[in-house]
Amino acid sequence: MNTVNDSGVNLCRTLIATAVASVLLAACAAAPLKPDGAAEARNKLMQLQSDPNLAGRAPLAIKEADAAVRTAEQPQADQELAAYRVYLADRKIDTARAQAETRLAEDQRAALSAQRESARLDARTHEADTARSQVATARAEGAQQKLAADQARSESDAAYLAAANSEQQATELQRQIEELQARVTDRGLVLTLGDVLFESGRADLKTGTAGNLNKLVFFLNKHPDRSVAIEGYTDSVGSEDYNQALSQRRADSVRSYLVRQGIGSGRLTASGMGMIDPVAGNDSAAGRQQNRRVEVIVSNPPAASR
Amino acid sequence: MNATSQPHRGSRVRIAAGLTGVLMLAASCASTPPAPTASLQAAQLAISNAERTDASRYAPGELGEARTKLASADTAVKEQRMIMAERFAEESRAEAELASARTAAVKAKAVNDEMTRSTDTLVEEMQRGSGDKP
Repeated sequence: MNTVNDSGVNLCRTLIATAVASVLLAACAAAPLKPDGAAEARNKLMQLQSDPNLAGRAPLAIKEADAAVRTAEQPQADQELAAYRVYLADRKIDTARAQAETRLAEDQRAALSAQRESARLDARTHEADTARSQVATARAEGAQQKLAADQARSESDAAYLAAANSEQQATELQRQIEELQARVTDRGLVLTLGDVLFESGRADLKTGTAGNLNKLVFFLNKHPDRSVAIEGYTDSVGSEDYNQALSQRRADSVRSYLVRQGIGSGRLTASGMGMIDPVAGNDSAAGRQQNRRVEVIVSNPPAASR
Repeated sequence: MNATSQPHRGSRVRIAAGLTGVLMLAASCASTPPAPTASLQAAQLAISNAERTDASRYAPGELGEARTKLASADTAVKEQRMIMAERFAEESRAEAELASARTAAVKAKAVNDEMTRSTDTLVEEMQRGSGDKP
């Protein structure tokens, strides 16, 4: 029993000692390890230190703030002193953050400046492009106007050419008419083939004297729209019937020559006029020779009055 | 009566004066902590610096607080509460330095904002310009 009692007493003592110790420990734990607000200050500082954009940008100020926070964290019985230290730590953290933000803004400025330069360059390029496209548009308009002008010019050229052509044609005609030694009359071009073409009393064309007729063929080939009237005339020697027949034969002779040269027979009419319409007196040999003739009347073109 | 009482009165006055002097010396000795001149000057300097950076415009709250704290420090000095005076002075300086730092940050951000805005304006104008053109 004694031993039991002893051990019971011992147990009691141990329990009491433990209780006292734990009470003391509890008292120690309960005693404020850090002043009010110190934890908040530490948390605030940690946020700044863990911000990758700011942490490295105010190293000195952050170091000072850290020291101030550590001071504020020291257990302090003097509440006013503790509050004062927390206040200072808080302001130093804010100051460090503001300095880091300033530095960050300054560091970002290079990129912003580059962006602005890029935008400015784009704007200038765009302006230049716009100006260029305006110039191109203007040039295209100009080209169009030029095209129109060219067209107008080519039209007027064509007109001019046509005019020149017709002028040239007229000149050519004039030259050809002169070549034919034809007279321009109301009936048309009148070409007189002299009696040198014919032997007296005969209707055959003299060989080797077709030169003048060949000019007529050339002219008629050039002017296919013109028809030809071939009229034979004689002098007053012999009977009227004879002269009429002779003049017809001579006209027909010229006509068949022209047909042989390729002139369409439809364009050619041949008629004997006999002894009428003498161009000279029949009382002399020279006069009679002038009266023996074939006149070729080349009609004016149907659309000549254009 | 008058003749006998005269010397008595004189010695009492002397004793009283002496005691007062000793008391006064003792009192002055007891509150000897000097005014926190360095802290006060540092606070004043920090406020001046903040004012020079135009903190009254960009961080008026912090600057006002710094001034208030400095005034409190001066009051504490007059009241011979030198420890309080020093703490007020240090708080004033911390507040003034914060005012300067915040002013600098606001200005730096304003510059960046302006740059961003002008860039945006350029881009916008360009887009509008290209939108208008056929």
